[in-house]
Amino acid sequence: MKSIAAKGDLRDPMTVRERFPLLNSFLDGWSIFKQSLLGRIGLVLLILFALMAVCSYIPPLIDPMYNPMTGVDPAITCCTPPGMRHWLGTDFMGRDILSQLLAGARVAFMVGISAAVMSIVLGVAIGMTAGYMGRFIDTLLMRLADMIMVMPTLLVVLILAAVFGQLNIWTIVLIIALFRWPGVSRIIRGQTLSLKQRPFIEAAKVAGASHSRIIFQHIMPNVLPLAFLFMTFRVTSAIITEAALAFLGFGDPGTVSWGMMLQWVWKTGHMFKAPYWLLPPGICISLITLSFYMLGRAMDEVLDPRLRKEDQTD
Amino acid sequence: MELRKYIGRRLVQVVIIFFVILTVLFLLFRLAPGDPVSRMVDPDMTPEDAHRLKVELGLDKPLGIQYLVYLKNFFTGHFGYSFHYGEPVVNIIWSRLPNTVLLFTTSIILSALVGIFLGKIASWHKGKKTDSILTIGALVTHTLFLPWLALIMIWLFSYKFGWFPITGMISEDVWLDPDSGFIAKSLDVMYHMVLPLSTLFLIHFGAYLLIMRSSMLETLKEDYILTARAKGLEEKVIRDHHAAPNAALPVVTSVGLSLAFSINGGALTETVFTWPGIGRELVFSVSQNDYPLAQASFLLIAAVVLVSNVVVDVLYAYLDPRIRY
Repeated sequence: MKSIAAKGDLRDPMTVRERFPLLNSFLDGWSIFKQSLLGRIGLVLLILFALMAVCSYIPPLIDPMYNPMTGVDPAITCCTPPGMRHWLGTDFMGRDILSQLLAGARVAFMVGISAAVMSIVLGVAIGMTAGYMGRFIDTLLMRLADMIMVMPTLLVVLILAAVFGQLNIWTIVLIIALFRWPGVSRIIRGQTLSLKQRPFIEAAKVAGASHSRIIFQHIMPNVLPLAFLFMTFRVTSAIITEAALAFLGFGDPGTVSWGMMLQWVWKTGHMFKAPYWLLPPGICISLITLSFYMLGRAMDEVLDPRLRKEDQTD
Repeated sequence: MELRKYIGRRLVQVVIIFFVILTVLFLLFRLAPGDPVSRMVDPDMTPEDAHRLKVELGLDKPLGIQYLVYLKNFFTGHFGYSFHYGEPVVNIIWSRLPNTVLLFTTSIILSALVGIFLGKIASWHKGKKTDSILTIGALVTHTLFLPWLALIMIWLFSYKFGWFPITGMISEDVWLDPDSGFIAKSLDVMYHMVLPLSTLFLIHFGAYLLIMRSSMLETLKEDYILTARAKGLEEKVIRDHHAAPNAALPVVTSVGLSLAFSINGGALTETVFTWPGIGRELVFSVSQNDYPLAQASFLLIAAVVLVSNVVVDVLYAYLDPRIRY
């Protein structure tokens, strides 16, 4: 068989590329991505934030007073400016702001990525179903998408908090995901509709491929890159929604997120007295949003050939 | 004629969607753990009053009847009484609506106009310094965390410089003074509106700028632009009269699509600046467990979002004669 013969040549890079079309398109994409300044800045910033998230486990190990939620410095009773003992100062209870900031990075990634993955999976599944099945199911799903799309997610979570009381962090993530799939599903549906008309799908049908084979083998690989692009935007919207919710005082009281930190500054009335406490969480939320946004724009260039450098000659 | 049909169809859709939202809210309210009565009836009420309200809201009847009562109350404007204010909810939200509309529409129109204008300039200087500054500026301001920006604005312009009032919408001494006329009162409101308006503006104009820029770059490749150039028209005329009006259309669409995002931002801005609008009322009522007020504010916001979407779509159809429904 040809595939067995090809195995021997795995060291040859061309063959590796040929054997793994996804890897191939990834490498192609990477070479375009590398040229984008915005994309590089975004990626570097994100790596820094990821490092912050990883480092968030360190301070509580050094001394229990560095625990972001429960650690209280016995020598301090009120908020204090940055110093040797607390690099970014402490909050109104004497908790270390730097360790809170690091823990916030972890929460942001956790919330952003899990909500984004869930909403993308939902959006791709619904979009492909609508596009592939057509007719009644298509109309039904797309009307549902229209309806959910216009709803302001933050206020929806608020009204749910009014009905159900305190929401924990995973419920919040789930609600964000449930209300953030329509944008993705519309794009994926459009893509599926156009793919359905292509000759290779016709060929697969004639060859007797089942619906599930056509969907998973032929349509899905073609829509996934687009879904991946949307993921970066979904990550930011999830992070912002959680932060805003926490800021308003409806976050999970058991987690230290950047929104929660801002809420503490605001609600305890320290915003005029303690700029060292007000600035870091806001800068972090804004920067992480910006970096995902830049990453998304750079990926947009990779996926949309019209945006590439070469036709910028005119 | 076709347009009228399209509007009619969209309005029917809006009514259906609104019905679905009403029903979902009703079901959630009944399905949620805990006693629904305690959520609708103020704990401070006397037992007789509480019983009267229970009957009025139909909370003592089976679910189907409750739903009918709920719909009837909705259409006759009975949303119950706010626990916090002790007033009928309808009166409260009607008095807040104009404030929200004022702040919200002003900020959207202002940021769209400035976004379109700056996006045009950025596309015209593509690849040059002006373009980079505008694009990066737009990206940065658009991704700022809104409540934090609002706090920074207050910290900087109200606290440090003392230029603007910290919170609120009116100064009492101006409004209580019988001598101050309409102009003095309007100026007072405008003075209070500067900071919330600038906050919303800073967050929103960037998105419109970026859309206008890329749409303008697409439009400049069209054949009719080439024709205009071949005719020997001035570049400025081509830019302002041939390209820009067409390129601005996607901005109109994006205003509609980002409406949900803008409404979230509006609620946050109102809360931080204690601007007496619907969004702040919703946030406040949820934190006070004032369910009747929360429900009514949410429904009103949902209605506003749905209707504005139709308005944006119709505006689009009106602006672009190529669109036919």
